[in-house]
Amino acid sequence: MQIITTFDVSRRYIFLPVFVTTESKKRYKFNALLDTGAPATEFSDEALQVLGLLEKTKQDISLKPGLQTQKYGRVTLFQIEICSHPIDNLEVYVSHFDKSWGIKALIGLDFFRRFRVTIDYKASHLVTNPL
Amino acid sequence: MKQKMTWEEMKKAYPDEWLLITDYKLDQFGRVASGVVERHSKDDQEVFQPPAPNKSCAFEYTGEYQFPGGLRAHADHNHF
Repeated sequence: MQIITTFDVSRRYIFLPVFVTTESKKRYKFNALLDTGAPATEFSDEALQVLGLLEKTKQDISLKPGLQTQKYGRVTLFQIEICSHPIDNLEVYVSHFDKSWGIKALIGLDFFRRFRVTIDYKASHLVTNPL
Repeated sequence: MKQKMTWEEMKKAYPDEWLLITDYKLDQFGRVASGVVERHSKDDQEVFQPPAPNKSCAFEYTGEYQFPGGLRAHADHNHF
């Protein structure tokens, strides 16, 4: 089913709300950046910890030169909703995000592998269709 | 009892802070328009400390996003 999702064109990047539902049916909202430079969707370790998917975060992680995030594991989300499309059992990277960035998730190219995504800046929206 | 606030009130009360918000409503862009601030701090670890409240909640940041993304950032970082 085609879904139209509006976004704020005044911002530097495209930010989208994502909703993660845990097995205990609790629903959490995060802001994610649509990042065509990320091979796969990433969540910050702190976000995954509060979801109960990560026991503890690694404290000795530092960003390598040229990298924007530092991936160090993988977890499977019970369900995530991106652009109102529910996706079950999505495997995401556990990453270290710098707190100054103000985001805790990146939507990567795995989303583009599942959906045809049309970005329409003039209309301030994304059109997404399952492939 | 904690009071419901609008997003503008939250930004004014808690500048450049991470927030954990419950009982929230969203605007047309999917941003929190109003809700109850359960936790707030400039230190994200305090806000993301488990356990989360036993209800649906939203995590927001009231400051400006500083993500250094893109090829330009990569080039700047590596002094190309």
